[in-house]
Amino acid sequence: MTRRACTLLVLRHALLVAVAIAMLTPFYWVLKTALTGENIYAYPPSLLPVHPHLYNFVDVWYLIPFPRYLMNSVIVSLLAVAGNLVLNSIAAYALTLPFRGRRAVLVLLLSCTLVPFQATIIPAYLITARLGLLNAYLGLALPLMSTIVCIFIFKAAFEAVPRSLIDAAQIDGLGELSILTRVLLPLSTPAIATNVVLAFIWSWNNFLWPLIITRDPNMQTLPLGLARFLSYMEDTTGALYAFVVMVLAPGLLVFLMAQSSFMRGLTAGATKG
Amino acid sequence: MPLRSLLSSRFFIVPVAIAIAVGGWNIYVSLHARGLIAGHVVDAAGRPVADATVILYAHDFVTQAEREHTKTDADGAFRFSDNDSHLIQLQAIEGAHSSPRVTIRLWFRAQDYVLTAPLVIEAAS
Repeated sequence: MTRRACTLLVLRHALLVAVAIAMLTPFYWVLKTALTGENIYAYPPSLLPVHPHLYNFVDVWYLIPFPRYLMNSVIVSLLAVAGNLVLNSIAAYALTLPFRGRRAVLVLLLSCTLVPFQATIIPAYLITARLGLLNAYLGLALPLMSTIVCIFIFKAAFEAVPRSLIDAAQIDGLGELSILTRVLLPLSTPAIATNVVLAFIWSWNNFLWPLIITRDPNMQTLPLGLARFLSYMEDTTGALYAFVVMVLAPGLLVFLMAQSSFMRGLTAGATKG
Repeated sequence: MPLRSLLSSRFFIVPVAIAIAVGGWNIYVSLHARGLIAGHVVDAAGRPVADATVILYAHDFVTQAEREHTKTDADGAFRFSDNDSHLIQLQAIEGAHSSPRVTIRLWFRAQDYVLTAPLVIEAAS
């Protein structure tokens, strides 16, 4: 390696480290405040945690119905993930097949991604109410049980599978559903991981929809619990940030578990011929 | 083999590890959550104070309310046996004198806890 190349490599890594530090500093600050109880506006701030402890997490667990919120969020997120895997894979497989009006359907789906959820929230509420799913887990998960972005992730993954494999499966007598479950899905694990991660995180962090359709405090999810906790506390002490860490942790865990497949899933189909 | 690859996958190992940790913690909690709070009361010279009143306050973010009280024995020892809070304060009172309130943060509700340092009743200033 020449001296110039070595210098460029060091500079590039120094820049990446600086960007990584800038990205991670807010997370570090939240964690530090959760562990110490130091007021976030304290000046001068301490860079390292002073007398760290975990009691703020204990306070959060007991002072609000945290286990209930956690269970609600887990149930809703699992429903959303299951719905995404089933509905998106079926829709994506249909979109890889030739049929009349396929292009129009694709254009319609793509154009729908431009419409923000806030614009459709009233019809979504009315439909959910008509289905009798207000204040229910299924109603909480319903809008995120199929997302267009995830349909296209599955579609890209399915299109990357050689057509000859599907033809061979058809010659062997497999039906469409069997081709999907026995041929396409086993070859699309990155797309599955991407669907799981995105559906879980979107559902886990969802605030507006649960706020609108839950009436019973026992049906509230963690983001709503966080807002409720903030209204109780109205300050910037460690317990609030401990709550934030406890809300963030499951999403981060799911992402870290599926990280490598998630990255492959996002780029699947990008280089196919 | 699909079962073997599933069992060695992080999607199986991590949830199972978490489940084991949670289960172990819950077993530990159930074995140590009898609500026992014990300690001693001494005066400024370090002598045990008999018949002092010890008050247990249950404390949360915004309030602290007296939950119960007890008396020390001849050795200055006291004991509460039905605390159900995770965040308490203790104060000893003997006549016109009292100790500072001591805040005790527990890892879980009703955790058994023995004070390592006694409550010290100070002379009124």
